[in-house]
Amino acid sequence: MKNLKIISNIKLKKSSKFLILLLASILVGTANAAIFYSLTMQPQVIVSTPVIKFDHADDEPAGSTVDDAWCSLTAKSYPNATLTYEQAVNLINTDSVNAHLFRLTYISITPANGSANVGNWTSIKFLVYSSTGDYVFSLNFTVSGNNWVLAPASGQTAYYSIPASTSWSIRLETLSPAAATEGEVCRIQITVDVQ
Amino acid sequence: MLLPELFALLSSDLFLLLSLLTCLLEERFPKAVPYIYQVAALMGFGHLAVSKMFLTVFDVDLRFWYNFFYLAVGLANVVAVNLYLAVSKKTWILAKVWSASVTFPTVFISIFFIYNYGYLQGATFPMLTVDLILMLAVVILGITVAVLLSPKLLRRR
Repeated sequence: MKNLKIISNIKLKKSSKFLILLLASILVGTANAAIFYSLTMQPQVIVSTPVIKFDHADDEPAGSTVDDAWCSLTAKSYPNATLTYEQAVNLINTDSVNAHLFRLTYISITPANGSANVGNWTSIKFLVYSSTGDYVFSLNFTVSGNNWVLAPASGQTAYYSIPASTSWSIRLETLSPAAATEGEVCRIQITVDVQ
Repeated sequence: MLLPELFALLSSDLFLLLSLLTCLLEERFPKAVPYIYQVAALMGFGHLAVSKMFLTVFDVDLRFWYNFFYLAVGLANVVAVNLYLAVSKKTWILAKVWSASVTFPTVFISIFFIYNYGYLQGATFPMLTVDLILMLAVVILGITVAVLLSPKLLRRR
């Protein structure tokens, strides 16, 4: 009877020890799995140069900023006369093998809609020409009262395919009304989206 | 895509398994062993935490090697317990059962994951070194198991 009591005590000790270790194991295992799961969910952002990018061109307006993925052009305009920058900025497909689809997207324009200064312009047009000089598409800003009217209205063009290792140019055409105030500046920022 | 931290997770679970099994067989092991294995499993948690913190700093090769090393230590412990039961404690039946139910599955699951990892990663790390280590481990394991199953093999010569 005494021996049985000792044995049962030992078993209880062992089982309680096992229970503690089991609970600790569940805790450690769950914590490990949670960390591993969070690692698998960690997004990886790879910095790379856009396949299709903006590039400086011969007629780039002074004071403009041309980055790979976006450009901000500061162009002049003359009252009652259309000023044309034949090659305001270039678009290059840096992929030497594949053609890629891209579109132009309007980001911002100053003066903003509602400002009386908007009336200093009649239209600002970005016309895309292929390497052979053929017109492809355009992104236009025309003025109606104190507001800019975009064409296409969404501010985004459709997607167009540019062949491998090809440079296209963007022609910029500006026009102001006869009563435009000298010295007013319009800044337009557009981006290139590559599909 | 397999992450190299999978090896740390696997090894940490191996240590937890060893902790529970050595607790169940406590008569045959020093009393501190199950707790030591718990601490070793916690070190796996540390491995994973460091990987998470320095994910953008450590390159994938470095992460592979320190996680692989931890897995190798875990597997070495599984084999060591097997040998301890067989050689030191002379519990042949238990050693055979351990070999079949713990050592073989864990070693081959580890080999499976390492090969999968090497294949998916395009083997950016020196696969030949890993191959040699794994081949050596399998050969030693095979000899050990053969001796365990038939101890007379040693006496024939």
